Amino acid sequence: MSETSLAIVNARLVDPASGHDGPGGVLIEDGVIVQTGTEIDVDAADEVVDAQGRILAPALVDLRCAKEPALTPDGETLDTLTAGAAAGGFGTIVLAPNDRAPLDKADGFAGMNRGLAHKGVNVLSACGATQGLAGQQMAEIGLMVRGGAVYAGQGDRPIADTRTMRRLLAYTSQFDIWLSVRPADADLSDGTVALESDWSARMGLPAEPAISERIAIERDAALAELSGGKLMIDRLSTAYGLEALRHARTRDQEIAATVAVAHLTLNEVDGGGLDSAFRMDPPLRSEADRRALVQAVIDGEIDAVVTDHRPTPFDDKGEPFALAIAGTMSLETALGAMLGLVHDGQIELIDALRVMTSGPADLLGLPQGRIAAGAPADLILIDGDRPWVCDPEDFRSARGNCAWAGRRFQGRVLQTLVGGVTIYNHKA
Amino acid sequence: MTRAAFSYDFPHRHLISVADLNPVDIRIIFERAARWLAVNRTPEKSSDALKGLTVLNLFFEASTRTQGSFEMAGKRLGADVVNFAVAHSSASKGESLSDTARTLAAMQPDIMVVRHSATGAPRFLAERTGLAVVNAGDGMHEHPTQALLDSFTLAQHWGEVGGKRILIVGDILHSRVARSNIGLLNILGAEIRLCAPPTLLPSDVDQWGCDVFHDLDEALKDCDAVMALRQQKERMSGGFVPSEREFFHLFGLTHERLEACSPDVLVMHPGPMNRGTEIHTKLADDPEKSVILEQVESGVAVRMAVLELIGETIRRDFTSREAAR
Repeated sequence: MSETSLAIVNARLVDPASGHDGPGGVLIEDGVIVQTGTEIDVDAADEVVDAQGRILAPALVDLRCAKEPALTPDGETLDTLTAGAAAGGFGTIVLAPNDRAPLDKADGFAGMNRGLAHKGVNVLSACGATQGLAGQQMAEIGLMVRGGAVYAGQGDRPIADTRTMRRLLAYTSQFDIWLSVRPADADLSDGTVALESDWSARMGLPAEPAISERIAIERDAALAELSGGKLMIDRLSTAYGLEALRHARTRDQEIAATVAVAHLTLNEVDGGGLDSAFRMDPPLRSEADRRALVQAVIDGEIDAVVTDHRPTPFDDKGEPFALAIAGTMSLETALGAMLGLVHDGQIELIDALRVMTSGPADLLGLPQGRIAAGAPADLILIDGDRPWVCDPEDFRSARGNCAWAGRRFQGRVLQTLVGGVTIYNHKA
Repeated sequence: MTRAAFSYDFPHRHLISVADLNPVDIRIIFERAARWLAVNRTPEKSSDALKGLTVLNLFFEASTRTQGSFEMAGKRLGADVVNFAVAHSSASKGESLSDTARTLAAMQPDIMVVRHSATGAPRFLAERTGLAVVNAGDGMHEHPTQALLDSFTLAQHWGEVGGKRILIVGDILHSRVARSNIGLLNILGAEIRLCAPPTLLPSDVDQWGCDVFHDLDEALKDCDAVMALRQQKERMSGGFVPSEREFFHLFGLTHERLEACSPDVLVMHPGPMNRGTEIHTKLADDPEKSVILEQVESGVAVRMAVLELIGETIRRDFTSREAAR
């Protein structure tokens, strides 16, 4: 925490939480925002930054990213992960369980969580909902919540057993935490690598029908209603899924929905050449699905956009599409990809930022994700127009699997502050 | 007004559900039980209250303490007590419960004490045989004598159970002990609290006349008694609760946690206990707080009272039938 005061003035201040998009600045004291607006008291500040009209926004919040298991040779470590996050404009990230790091053991969980602190970026952790993410027996969720887990998740594994899902929703409800589950019917989606479509049929790929998502959401929403649990739909990706979400919300249920940045900015055609970099879980969808998801973000139906950042060894992407491990890195490219939608006129900047700041922060009850007096001074300064080309060689990470490799982006983070301290400064 | 003014006789031939009892019935049972409790502490325990009657212990589920308690109660009252080991008999040869019941009824016993894994089996047997039936536990439904002995134990300490705050903690979903206790404590006018993970609570539990909690520390505030339920080990490994240790950390009773209660709080357990899962071993053995062994002692006295009262009803019915002839 900085013990001096800092003023950032002459910015385009974009704060989705208050709906403000206009000229402004902030005054920061001891790591906390104490004043916002156009009348910043610069005399009170030890240091003054003139933003020269650039965008000042809350630092981004990501509810779903992954590092690699400790001691993985050449793997993504906590240090490389947080360095990449800071460069991508993230002030807070949540490690989510996945097959390689299921986060399902209560032993040492609290200690691990304490070890995540003090990395500049706030690093939080979710916990695995079932033992080994197998979807059968509950993990020690209560002990892990006591150890700091911010929600319970299942990685890419849907929960096949309806009774287990009911009990998980009931059990997690006593801790008032979200149960985050990938919406997919386990039997329909098992072993598939693509969306069931004209393209995947021609390619002869094992494919998942889009209604698999709808079936799962309708089931899980009904179970959440029965059990009083808090259901988080982990990476909604289809228009059918959106319909099911809307239907569930007509019953006045507390249901959260996230979308991965890949499903907002890419479609199955991007993977048309069977490039393993586009092997995702959930798979990339149709353009109609993508457009429906963008509209849902604009309409406020999506609570959070997640990076689903997943570093993998190059060897795992060295397999053909149908065999490759799923996932892409995206902490350093998420903002660039979202700004692409803004420049294309598909979405307003403030709407794109809402689902990456106050939206996810509000789901977890975090004070971050907003520019307001009393909030932590987690901020980013963005040059909204600066062009750059995504080159995984330049990533802070040890890995380079990225679906956006070679893409041209417009707009990037110049500076990231957490608790008033600059943790990233772009040297251009 | 006293009972005598109404000349009220205990009217029941069966004890199948606590819901069949009214507050006067319960007071009669407790008065008798208090008498037997004192008698049981003397070397002259034998009585001939049930002399000439046959009590059949019919346990379709394994039981040691409840069966032993009923057997001792019947024998001290002078009844002929027969334990029927059902697990080794006709039921395992495929005979229906109805046929088993009629066969046993033909032997002319007077009272059947029944434990069965199926809800409703005691009432079914009562209807099929016409014998007096005492429910010693049916499925997840009721265990009325356990509830009576629990309240009786508390009444020995307090005089009245009404108005006291009593917490039941643990697997309420699968517990017949909890269901009978909730029913009885409601009749007696106690304030009932329940505390369990949502996976171990029935979904409509908020309509049972209890306050429901998931946070034990919150639930324990100002309680006069706390009743821990036995946790089935097979439900503690991921199906309903992740592990025994997580259950203990969230719902296990310890001395520290009881500091939120009334200073004279009483700790109960229907047994058998899993030390370190639902109750800290030191608390279970604390003579200042734990009344667990008193419950066992009360159990014999309460069962004697119930059998004696039912025996009186049987004799009265017989006499009036003979007179009508």
